Amino acid sequence: MERSDWELVQKCQAGEMDAFQELVSRYHQKVYMVILGLLRNREDALEVAQETFFRAFRKIKSFQGGSSFYTWIYRIAVNLSIDAQRRQKRNPLDFRESMDEVLEAQNEVAKDPFSDVHDKELRQTLLKAINDLTPEHKAVIVLRTIEGLSYKDIGEILGCSEGTVMSRLHYARKKLQYKLSEFL
Amino acid sequence: MRNCEGIRESIGSWLDGELSAAESESVRAHLVSCTDCGETRRRLEKMQLALKAALISQAPQIEFMSFWRGVERRINQKRAWYDDLLDWSRGLFAAPRVAWMVPAVIGILLVLASTDVWRLGGSRNSFASVESIDAYGRSVALLREQETKTTVIWLYQDQEGENDAAEDTAKSAPTF
Repeated sequence: MERSDWELVQKCQAGEMDAFQELVSRYHQKVYMVILGLLRNREDALEVAQETFFRAFRKIKSFQGGSSFYTWIYRIAVNLSIDAQRRQKRNPLDFRESMDEVLEAQNEVAKDPFSDVHDKELRQTLLKAINDLTPEHKAVIVLRTIEGLSYKDIGEILGCSEGTVMSRLHYARKKLQYKLSEFL
Repeated sequence: MRNCEGIRESIGSWLDGELSAAESESVRAHLVSCTDCGETRRRLEKMQLALKAALISQAPQIEFMSFWRGVERRINQKRAWYDDLLDWSRGLFAAPRVAWMVPAVIGILLVLASTDVWRLGGSRNSFASVESIDAYGRSVALLREQETKTTVIWLYQDQEGENDAAEDTAKSAPTF
């Protein structure tokens, strides 16, 4: 029988490394995808994802189970990503390189099921529009779109109310729709 | 029946399944009868689909063992004492811990506003100042009008990009 996250956390707190490894195996892909959605650079995303689990390991003893493990780990991931994103914005050269890399990555994946998105121009406009969002707006869009998290969970991760999540999503979507208006 | 403007603001939450049963039914009923709002829904759904494809398709599968080795290396690496200090100091200035700066900045501004130093120029009777509190766009503005002895303190967060949608009524609690 599969052990719950909370059981694994308790084992980690008792010093069992295997339990922590199992938690990492459960969430590493999801955490990586969220971070990649925020940073748009594979290498940076991998670094931040590993750093996320390292920080979680160091703080695991203070985790009391007040929230679920995944909202806790996403919170660490989003905070580290927002910090990294602000550093990226201060370095336009890095930003340009990361965009090139993402656009290149798009050409590698020609099998996604959404035919509309095959249009290269739409992809580029969409990625640019996402990048132009504020870190907070980008975070709600990514958490909702990739993970399909509830407003309550997103609020817990970002440390804000459900109403704020709703408001940020509304404005972020409105902004994206405006920039994509010619494609929709 | 709610008006189109109100409905359009709710379509995203409706698609996300985040409305109450009554609100949800109200949006559904409106969308059946209103072509314009139906079109807004169609555009939003199309954008959501494109967004999902773009964000998910770019992510490669990560091989677990190599990922784990990276985490393990960090765990086993001995950290210098100043790295811990750096982490601690970063946390000190991160929201929401930065909240201690709000009363501090207000206090400083009030002291400055009430000091005669500002009147040395002769003609300066009132005082106005805006101070940024943190990197998240939070600021405090202080206005002191000498004649009416009025002091206004205004805390706000600059929501970049939301100004163009200022006519929309935000349903949420303020973000600050």
